[in-house]
Amino acid sequence: MNQEFETEELTSVSRRDFFKKTATVSAAAAAAILAPSTVLADDPAIMHHPKWGTTLGAEINANPYGFPSKYEHNVVRRTSALMSSAGDMHAAISMTPLHEQKGIITPNGLHFTRTHNGVAHVDPNEYRLMIHGLVEKPIVLTLEQLKRYPSESKIHFVECPSNGAAEWKGPQFNSVQFVRGMMSCTEWTGVRLKTILDELGLKPEAKWMLAEGSDGSEMSRTLPIEKVLDDVMIVYGQNGEALRNEQGYPVRLLAPGWEANLCVKWLKRLEFGDKPWYAKEETSKYTALTASGKAIQHFYALETNSIITSPCPEIPWTDLKVGDLVEIEGLAWTGHGTVSGVDITFDGGKNWVEANLKGLVLPKAWTRFSYMYRYEGKPLLLASRSYDDSDNVQPTVNQEKKVVGVEGVYHRNAIHTWAVNAKGEVNNVQIRS
Amino acid sequence: MFKLDHKLMVAGVALALSSTLLFGGSSADSSTLPGKYSSQPGAIDGGVIYPRKDGVHTAYRYNEQSTKGVNFGRLPTANEIAAWDVDALPDGTGLPEGEGSVEEGDELFETQCASCHGDFGGGGNGYPQLTGGNQSKDENGVIITLKNQRLQPGMAAPTRTIGTYWPKATTLFTYIRDAMPYATPKSLSANDTYALTAYILAQNQIVIDGEKMTDEYVLNAEKLAKVVLPNNNGFYPNIDGPEGPANVKAFFADRAKNIGSGTRCMSNCKDPGMDGKTEATVMKIGYEMKDVVPPYAYARDLPPEVDDKSVSKAEKLYNANCKVCHTTDAMGAPAVGDEEAWHSVMAKGFDKVLYNAVNGIGGMPAKGGNEDLTPSEIRDIVKFMTDSSKKKH
Repeated sequence: MNQEFETEELTSVSRRDFFKKTATVSAAAAAAILAPSTVLADDPAIMHHPKWGTTLGAEINANPYGFPSKYEHNVVRRTSALMSSAGDMHAAISMTPLHEQKGIITPNGLHFTRTHNGVAHVDPNEYRLMIHGLVEKPIVLTLEQLKRYPSESKIHFVECPSNGAAEWKGPQFNSVQFVRGMMSCTEWTGVRLKTILDELGLKPEAKWMLAEGSDGSEMSRTLPIEKVLDDVMIVYGQNGEALRNEQGYPVRLLAPGWEANLCVKWLKRLEFGDKPWYAKEETSKYTALTASGKAIQHFYALETNSIITSPCPEIPWTDLKVGDLVEIEGLAWTGHGTVSGVDITFDGGKNWVEANLKGLVLPKAWTRFSYMYRYEGKPLLLASRSYDDSDNVQPTVNQEKKVVGVEGVYHRNAIHTWAVNAKGEVNNVQIRS
Repeated sequence: MFKLDHKLMVAGVALALSSTLLFGGSSADSSTLPGKYSSQPGAIDGGVIYPRKDGVHTAYRYNEQSTKGVNFGRLPTANEIAAWDVDALPDGTGLPEGEGSVEEGDELFETQCASCHGDFGGGGNGYPQLTGGNQSKDENGVIITLKNQRLQPGMAAPTRTIGTYWPKATTLFTYIRDAMPYATPKSLSANDTYALTAYILAQNQIVIDGEKMTDEYVLNAEKLAKVVLPNNNGFYPNIDGPEGPANVKAFFADRAKNIGSGTRCMSNCKDPGMDGKTEATVMKIGYEMKDVVPPYAYARDLPPEVDDKSVSKAEKLYNANCKVCHTTDAMGAPAVGDEEAWHSVMAKGFDKVLYNAVNGIGGMPAKGGNEDLTPSEIRDIVKFMTDSSKKKH
């Protein structure tokens, strides 16, 4: 062993000394950026052999499934008693940590989760799917039989229509996870429902489909046939593996771009009929009460929407120096089609610039946007505004409020503003009257 | 590259705004820009429809071969369909036989429901309030309190109970039967469910076919189908009848009017706060919700150690100090679990084995290379290793 290197763990004292010493010479470092410095402190993280480099690592299959690094233990879904009945965590919702979300694919363990009667644990051997009603030939399928149908894989976001509902009357959470975390985006694999229906023979009088779950709440919803025959899928795969229990293992419905609540989990039964069913979750809930005193029902698609995920309250700009070039990054999505573009404002909506889209731009999927910004250390009112190929433009808080009021609970897609103060701290605010 | 994308993006917007306008004036072909897919308007949700053509569907390719004749699964039996097809429509189709009185429902409600939904279904325990709220209507038949908008703190909320908000009573029946009681769903009989439905409707002062629901009132399928809840007409678009889907489509086609839409103003946008001032009005968080689980934390540090009680201290010491060499015999060390190898090791006697462990033997360094191990720890480890390698009888 090379005795010139010390292998003990870095102490917080040495780290503090290092940063202190480095800070005092940062100006000199900037001036002589290409030449190795003789005045900077040596970083102990470089000058020491780390523990992991001087010991034998773990066995290759110590975790046959695999876990994230222990150091990532704070990257988890979070929930709040505010989004449950009396803090009961069986009919509740937990949010995806959007500040840690990279790219457009949400890891299965971080997919947001909403349940109405707890997370059902279904035995796949006893799983049955029944399709009946106004079809020439009703059918019952086991999981293996369902998987025998030709499969498709599509990347789609799934969003609870309550996403952002805590903010109708004003900002409430200082966290991007809680402001917009009731959504995730994954690659779903399953059978296009039309493929099965072509064989069963849909009767011409069939106008609506009831989708029913097998969990304790028997969660059910009515969908119009037009959507069913377009892009609705019966899915059993999520990011290359089986659905998680929280996402409806072994089978859920996927109505791309539409309310996650319509994507019925633990799917048990599809019935075709000529009338809508008026299930509980499409009457007493998931209807949007407007200021007229009447409520919008069968409110399907999630509107065009966007949010800046960096900076955000969780990832502020407090480490930036004036003059730093930094990326503003975020997510845009629309259930009506494909994101066409995103604009960014620094002054609360008076002036806007076009951001760039980056990565894959897919229909009814999260789309990344990016803008390189020269940090000035001045207060900003930072917001994004998306638009899509269905002529939708994300509304301001007031534009949305004017039409639907503030008591609708569902389908809130108003422009979201972060206030960045002179220190680089980020706070949730709203531009509104 | 940035400039090119920028130009195409603006062109793409113009194209989207006018589907008949052909893209021109640039050498770049907009159809090659990722994210621009051929589409047509007219989806039922107001969005676009992407055709499937020549094996291409937006960014995806698909197998064009015919799937006709793909046929797995079997016909369900009549009994199987009857067992699962228990839903009911607002006209009463599908409601089961049975009956129950308001009085019977009262008793059931007290024992099975009130702990969550409050006495008489009046709420108060954090779970949904089923009764109460003001059902009075305005001249247009709209329930007045549903127009409540909490624009300022302290203003009254619209109360969404069965009497003030729910459109259909059959929903109440099927939901109670299939999903309630919360912790023991599907435990109520049809009679129990009629009784509870009757009780809750009675608490909401519902009148059926001109008849008030007294304690003696007995509800059945026929009577339930006749219930018209006060907010029956409180929802739009109209989804009933053969024109239902067309109504829905027409409603979502006019999203600017019906839902609210933005405008793509780029500079000197007037009045973003729409309050008559050019300066935006900034609303800050009044009361921040911090009650989150698990608590907010962002550090990349080690989680607090959770002591796994199922693993003995001796095994942990073994894992940390000895396992690398003793898992297999590849390094010449007797593998833990190899009964025969350890049988011959133990033939030397425990004390000798312990002595070798402390002082080293063959390729094995003293104490397995960890000088910090105490003699009693070594003893525990050797005991663990020998115990784990004994013949199982």
